[in-house]
Amino acid sequence: MYRGSNRAKSGQGENSEVRGPNSALTQFLKEQGINAESIRQKWLKSREKETKEVSTDVKEEEEDEDVSSSKYFTKGRRRAISDSSEENDEDDEDDDEEEDNNNADGNSLQTRRSVPRSDDRLKRFAIAEEDSDEEEYDEGMSSRTISETPVPAISQEQLELNLKKSKQQLMQRRRKKKRAAELLDRKIRRISTLQDVCISQISANISKLQQNTNSADDTIHSKIRETLGGISTQNMNKLARTLSKNRALNDHTLQLFLKTELRSLAFHDCSKLSYEGYKMLAIFAPHLSELSLQMCGQLNNEALLYIAEKLPNLDSLYLDGPFLINEYTWDIFFTRMGGRLKAFHVSNTHRFTNDSLRSLLEHCGNNLVSLRLSRLDDLTDYSIMPQYLKCPNFENLGLEHPAKEEYITDDILVATLKNIGSTLKHLSLNGCLAVTDTTIINLKDALSADAGTSVLESLELEELDQITSDGIVFLFSEVSMPNLKVCSFRRCLQLDDMAITEFFLNKAGKSIMTLSLNSLKALKGDCFDAMECPELKKLDIGFLGCANDVLIKKLGEQNAKLEILEVFGDNLVSGKAEIRSGLTVIGRQSDTL
Amino acid sequence: MSEVLLVSKDDLEIPVSYEAAIISPVLKGMLSGPFLEEHPIKIELKDIEPQVLAKVVEYLEYCSTYRNVGENDDIPEFDVPTEMSLELLLVADYLNI
Repeated sequence: MYRGSNRAKSGQGENSEVRGPNSALTQFLKEQGINAESIRQKWLKSREKETKEVSTDVKEEEEDEDVSSSKYFTKGRRRAISDSSEENDEDDEDDDEEEDNNNADGNSLQTRRSVPRSDDRLKRFAIAEEDSDEEEYDEGMSSRTISETPVPAISQEQLELNLKKSKQQLMQRRRKKKRAAELLDRKIRRISTLQDVCISQISANISKLQQNTNSADDTIHSKIRETLGGISTQNMNKLARTLSKNRALNDHTLQLFLKTELRSLAFHDCSKLSYEGYKMLAIFAPHLSELSLQMCGQLNNEALLYIAEKLPNLDSLYLDGPFLINEYTWDIFFTRMGGRLKAFHVSNTHRFTNDSLRSLLEHCGNNLVSLRLSRLDDLTDYSIMPQYLKCPNFENLGLEHPAKEEYITDDILVATLKNIGSTLKHLSLNGCLAVTDTTIINLKDALSADAGTSVLESLELEELDQITSDGIVFLFSEVSMPNLKVCSFRRCLQLDDMAITEFFLNKAGKSIMTLSLNSLKALKGDCFDAMECPELKKLDIGFLGCANDVLIKKLGEQNAKLEILEVFGDNLVSGKAEIRSGLTVIGRQSDTL
Repeated sequence: MSEVLLVSKDDLEIPVSYEAAIISPVLKGMLSGPFLEEHPIKIELKDIEPQVLAKVVEYLEYCSTYRNVGENDDIPEFDVPTEMSLELLLVADYLNI
């Protein structure tokens, strides 16, 4: 074993870096072709030798005993024997080759005693010559002594072959890992578009610039901004998304977006934007009408009021994590935005209280067409909503994850939806655990605007573990939803095949594009017989006991446009599943390392 | 119909195979128009710098080469020089690739 480590230092040093999931040791052993079997053989041989030595001691006087040793030929042994023959036979051909082994061989004394018969010797030479390249190899490696325990016979070619093989394996593994990473990024196109390539290049450079931040950067940024001036808003938001994803959005990079024409802007990670940054945004992008600031932890009272003041066209504001804004400021903000705020989403703050909601509804309730309240820990009283939400064009209602489940009850929802349900396009009740079939059944009357047809485009009912198949069957048999594009029944644990079958039979089945059936553990799989969704692109069947290779194949065949199929936690979906081309299956155990 | 010439600023003509050119929906639209007469077909993109257009052509050829490779084959990264990235983004935006 020790010998091996010497070899690595002299020969393969650069390859022994830690790579991938293997430890450096594992990697090294693999590259050197050392495995349990070779170690065992080595051990066996050393044992043989030991026993032989013992026997030599016993039969010291018997000259012929070594004849039997010819069947124990090992490399080191052979070498030793060659040495001894050299001693006895001066004109030996092997003279030169063996010379430097002479002194080194600490064992030679013992073997020298045994002089083989001439024909045996010839045989031995023949074998020694066959192996001659190995000898050379050993000599070339270092001038180390020959250890007592002989090393497993690995020839140069074998070694190279092993090395090549392990390199190939490494490559393959790296490729597989990359593919798995791409899968997790939902990357279905293997060749990214030139626009994406450019944007990633730009983002990388902006972050590089930031690292060498100094005052000169301002000029570079303004230059970049000048050039960016001509690209579409779509690419602008794409760049914002890329920056956010790389955690690279800060006051410096923010300057890229400070251009006058931009009307809609979404930052998905503002955690590094200071309140000064928000103020700059408000000053230099005055045409903004829609602003989304996610993870805006540094947004303070002053900056929020600045936004209200300096952005005269702002009518939609989506905030996540504005926990520095206090009750008092919310009140002023809603007063100032009264009459123009049409869409307001807020989540993840404990300072948005009952009074804040009241202020919002009192000042802006009549105009609101979109409201989403999620994870607001201090908000306990949702019951005032039905009084205020009466806008005839109301489109988007999201009430998610109340601090306690009893805060959002069936009564509140039924009363609220009664007013606004007929025009509702997006409804999300994720995590409202108190919701039961009562709400679902009343949805029938609330949603059906025109002869049992609803304009609903997205319906999210995640984690509603009290709703049952009866409710869902009733809803989808009574209300036709020809516009439904997004639907999630994730973790609605009581839903079974009947409910989902009814969903597929509804007109929604023809229009649905994204569907989540994650964790519906009561599903047996029969519902997929009725499934035929020509528009479906993304389907999540994670943690379904009934999902298997056959189902994967079937889903691919039945839904022509299906692109992404998520199967996390489906252990019956194996690497052998037949997947139609164009369909990407994500989350198989066999795809990971 | 095997080769198309893209004409950049300074009247530099850069050849690109037809299969590669139609990867861009914009070029495809231009190539499928009813008024194509000259041979070989020339498309004038005179707002684009020659070296940027050359990069675009490189990308189109890269796409057509690697579009149909198997699941297990490697696709090399497409390299974009930093100084060109913004201009290239504008052109890519225009050509919708």
